[in-house]
Order: sequence, then structure tokens, then C-alpha cells
Amino acid sequence: MEKWLVQHAVGAFLVNENNEVERFEPNPKDIDQAVQEAMVIEGWTRGIKEGTEKVGGLSSAAKRLLENLKEEGFEGTIVFETEGESREASSMGFEVKVVPANDKAIYVRENVAELSVKYGMMESKEEFYDWLHKLTIEVVRRKLRSVAQKRDLLAVHAVRTIDDIDKIINLLIARLREWYSLHFPELDDLVKDHDLYARIVAEIGSRDAMTVERLKELGLKEDLAEKIAEAAKKSTGADLTETDLEQLQKLASIVEDLYSLRRELVDYISYIMKEVAPNVTALVGPVLGARLISLAGSLENLARMPASTIQVLGAEKALFRALRTGGKPPKHGIIFQYPDIHRSPKWQRGKIARALAAKLAIAARTDYFTGRDIGEKLKEELRARIDEIKRVYQKPPKREEKAERKAPPARKRGGRRPPRRKGGKRRGGGRRRK
Amino acid sequence: MALEVVNVYEHPHYPNVYIIELEDGSVRLATKNMVPGKRVYGEKLYQWEGEEYREWNIYRSKLAAALVKGIEELPIKPGDSLLYLGAATGTTPSHISDIIGPEGRLYGVEFAPRVMREFVTLAEERKNIFPILGDARKPREYRHLAEATDGLYADVAQPNQAEIVADNADFFLKDGGYMLMAIKARSVDVTKSPEEVFRREIEILKNRGFEILDIVHLDPFDKDHAMIYARFHRRSKQ
Ligand SMILES: C[S@@+](CC[C@H](N)C(=O)[O-])C[C@H]1O[C@@H](n2cnc3c(N)ncnc32)[C@H](O)[C@@H]1O
Repeated sequence: MEKWLVQHAVGAFLVNENNEVERFEPNPKDIDQAVQEAMVIEGWTRGIKEGTEKVGGLSSAAKRLLENLKEEGFEGTIVFETEGESREASSMGFEVKVVPANDKAIYVRENVAELSVKYGMMESKEEFYDWLHKLTIEVVRRKLRSVAQKRDLLAVHAVRTIDDIDKIINLLIARLREWYSLHFPELDDLVKDHDLYARIVAEIGSRDAMTVERLKELGLKEDLAEKIAEAAKKSTGADLTETDLEQLQKLASIVEDLYSLRRELVDYISYIMKEVAPNVTALVGPVLGARLISLAGSLENLARMPASTIQVLGAEKALFRALRTGGKPPKHGIIFQYPDIHRSPKWQRGKIARALAAKLAIAARTDYFTGRDIGEKLKEELRARIDEIKRVYQKPPKREEKAERKAPPARKRGGRRPPRRKGGKRRGGGRRRK
Repeated sequence: MALEVVNVYEHPHYPNVYIIELEDGSVRLATKNMVPGKRVYGEKLYQWEGEEYREWNIYRSKLAAALVKGIEELPIKPGDSLLYLGAATGTTPSHISDIIGPEGRLYGVEFAPRVMREFVTLAEERKNIFPILGDARKPREYRHLAEATDGLYADVAQPNQAEIVADNADFFLKDGGYMLMAIKARSVDVTKSPEEVFRREIEILKNRGFEILDIVHLDPFDKDHAMIYARFHRRSKQ
């Protein structure tokens, strides 16, 4: 007696010689798990080289189906479509045959939507196709992630470019404000937002042209536009000619362009990060995620770091200083930018940072090693942990920690170093104060 | 300045393909845009009587060129399922997606990650496009991700394409299903002075159960290719 075992991502079908499905075992409907099963059937493993012969295998559904069959004492031959499947089955003790694209397999593939409804796995054919659509997209995404050679470095360069742009903008805008203040000094105080300031100068230029309508066209609110127009009329600044203003306006429009490039880079980073590190992105967003990868050097480096290192990534200076002086180590590095850390009271920050770093370590490893998408789950777990911290540590701790540490008398407050003479910059969260 | 549309009507021979008449008297091929407002490859969008149409560029899509060259028929119809080999970034697949509509399915196989990155974005916008990152030479590696289909379209630019097509047909194409294949062919009169390679490819198709219905050369829109249209007769395999 012969029976045909046909595998599909939805599950395994056992078909008899009359084209009747005798059994069906479903694969998990959950997309993430279904992707895993699909990869097993295909014989796809991370980092597989192009042209390497893949050895497909049996999904967990197919294995279950065969085990049941074995227990019931089935004696006969099972026909498969691939060597990989048949080898596994023969090691389970079955007689096997391989006939690729056999009639029964075609029958299953012709009716797979109906069959998945008939066996109660799907409510309707529409549901099956929606599910398959999601599945195929997710399978592709997972494969792309793993062949994403160095695409993480694209995000790294983009985020470093953002930092460069910020420095350049700060430099240029300081110059622009000073220069334009010769003509319209009052604007400096009225418009604090650099992007907007540059736009007003670039688009309008002369303060005489600053009417309420014109300003509103640039997206300013009514009352601010009125204030500026008013101030322009009464300005104490010097009159400038068109030639004088032309150079200024060129500078201003370059600043504007830099802002727009910055926005584009943020979008670009989101696009790349979604592809190479969706789990890290789910936790901390694309830009902070890219900064972490940038500090680690690559996604691979980040994936190989223990959570404790991730926690202080970006605060290396503070860490080394602490090691050198025996002072307090930083509680957080760049992850200080995570809203739930910097917005929380100080005594909660270290705990939240530890919780976040632990999840980030899992996220980075998952992104790098398996490419699975478990972002939502990680996010929920982190949320729960943060809520717990906020509940349990609602009140600031008693001052008992003071006694614990034998701080040298020179230090003013618990464990902190006396201020540096040169007023060196303090980077990284741990030392920032409001 | 964009030209005004003066008339739009369905193609007399090819259902669900539209002809757009412009004010300067020129005409364009188009399909009804399934995702209004979205372009796929920079093609023009035209509005007419509350519908949006996407220009189907005959220099960019070999299938469009085959229609203009008068291929026997366009077998693709609403609700069809298709296996598409060599989906690339989805230029032709997007028009097939418009034609088969929300009830249809197009399984697009492509093995180059770089282009697949764009194709998968298209698939996210169009629920009738199912992307498969795989090698068309190994249909067994994606047999569990697709289904048996009404049609097969191939444009993989591989020297042994006929064999690839036949292997995929064995795995996926329904008995009586249609097949369209873009094939390299220098000489314009393909039937009279067929090149050796070309003849061998046709031979393989015939031996593997394909009944050739039509062959058109795509010159001048594509000087190097012809389109083969065939029907598949499945042979039993136990
Ligand atoms: C000429 S392009 C297809 C253009 C597309 N049909 C269109 O009209 O929009 C050929 C594509 O086939 C892909 N390709 C070539 N060999 C392949 C194979 N063995 N498996 C899958 N895709 C393949 C190439 O990567 C390329 O993107």
C-alpha cells in the first residue's frame, strides 16, 4: 500500500491513491512560528551560500502525522517529493519513495485553500490567502535580513551623518543669527527654532518684506507672524542692500537644505533598520537603534555584547573614569535617550536601563542570528517590567546608601568626582542632571 | 505639461487592458490601477470617469509589447492565479496584478535580493502579490509557499529557460493552464529562420507537454526577445 505525504506551509496532508486526503496536521497559524516551519521544509538556514544544495525536511506537523501513523502500525510505503523528507521518514522506520511533483501533490496544491478550510484551520479561503500573503512576505523579509550583507553599516553611516549635520547646522546657524542680526536683531529672540529661522531668512530675506501674509505662507502661526511683522517695522537694525542680503540668504537656504537632508536620513534609517534590525527598532525606535549599532560598530558586535555592556554603551569615558578613580560607574550610556529613562525620576533610571539593556541584548541577538520578528513580545515584556519598577520604586530611596560608601572627604556628593578644572565635557547619561 | 485624456476604452482583443486616447491623438496602453495614487516604476497615471489608469509602458514590459505586436490572446483574466518567474522589481507583475484584481494571486519568484527588496514592498501594497525569494531552477524549494496556478509567466533570462519553465509547470501549473514566456530571439521572423538555441527551446517545451499557440517577436520595442504563448497538458506522475 502506498500513501502520499504532501507538505505545505499550512500543514501536512496524507493522501491515498484515490486522491482523498486521509489526514491533515496543521502547522502553527502564528506567522512567526509558521515561518520557522516553512524554513525547515525548504531546508533554509542562515548564511546559506548561493548555489548550495539545500536539504529540505519535515515540518513539525509532518513529523506528528508520521508518528501517529507509526503508532497505529502503518505498513506500507510513503511517497514524498524530496530526498530530504524521505530520508527523515526512513530514519523513523518507514518505507519511502520520492516522486517530485506527483499527482497527489498537484491535487493538494490545487485545492490547498479549500482543504485548509475543510479541515478547520481557516475560516474561509480569504483567510487562507491573507495568511499566506503575510507568510510569504515574512519569509522573504527573514531571508533578506540574513543576506543583508553590511546593510547595518548603511544605517551606521546615516546616523553618523546626522550627528555631523547637527554640528554643521549649529555652526552655521550661530553665524547666520549673528550676521542677520545686523539687519533684524529682534528676530533672534522671537524665533528660537533654528529650522524656522533659516526658512524665514532664506525665503523672505529683507525685514521690509515681512508681512503677516508672507510669514503665514511659510507656516507660521498668526500671532507669531504678527509679532514678527510688528518688530520688523520698528527694528533697530541696519538697512541692507539686496546684494548684502543675497549672501546671507544663500547661507540660510543651505541650512534649510541640511534640515531637509536630516529628515530624509531619519526616514532612510527607519527603512534600513526595519529590514536589518526590526526587534531593536521595535524597542527603541530606528534612530536610537542605529546609534547603538553605530557605537557597537556593527549589528554583529551588538549581538555579541552582554546586556551590561549595552547598558553603558556610549558612556565609555564615564566608565573608564569610574574604574580609574573608584567612583560610581555610569548607569546608562546612549540609552539615556530612551524616553522612559530620561523622563523617570533619577532613582528609577538605573533599573529601567538594566531592564531595557537586557531586552536589547535579546533583540540584537534575534535580529542578527535568527532574523525572527519578536519585537512586539519584547516590547510588551519591557513595558510590564517598567510599570513594575515604577510601582515598586515609587518613592526615592532613603539616604542609607551614603553610609555604604566610604567616599573620600574631597567629594561633595556621594561618590561623585570633584568638578574637573578644565570643565571637560560629560558624555553619556549617568552624569546628566536636570 | 501633461496631456489631457480625451477617451478611455477597453482593448477590443484584450479584456481588462485599456486604451487611453490623449489630446494630441496618440494612444497608450494601460491597466486600471488597483492602488489608486501609487506609481510602481514612474509610469504615468491617468484619470477618467472616476477611475485611475496606469500607463503600461511597451518599452519596459515585454508583455505589453507582445500585446501591441498582436499576440493571439491575453489569457490572463480577473481572479486568475499565476506563477511568475523572474519578478524583478515588479514592472510587469504590477500590471498583471491590476488585471487579476483582488480575487487573483500572483506568486512572484525572484532570486536577486537587491531587486526583491523592492518587489516585497510592492507585495505589501498589493494583497494579490505573493513574493518568493527563491531560485526558479528549484521549484521544490518553494512548493510549500504557493499553490497550483492557472497560468505561468516566465522572464528569467536564463539560457535553459524552457527547462526551468517545464520543471515549474510540473510542480504548479494546472492541466490546461496557459504559459507565456519571453525568449531570446535575434531574428525577427522567428518561425522562418529560427536560431539553433531558439529551436531547441521550442523542442523542449513540446516534449514536456506544451502546445505552442503563438510566437510573436517584440521588435522594435525589444529587439532581442520574442514571446511564446502555449498551453500545458499535464502528464500523470504517480
Ligand atoms: C528581464 S528581468 C525580468 C523583468 C520582469 N519580468 C518585468 O517585465 O518586469 C529577469 C529577472 O529574472 C531574475 N532571475 C534570473 N534567473 C533567475 C532564477 N534562476 N530564479 C529566479 N529569478 C531569476 C533576474 O534576477 C532578473 O531580475
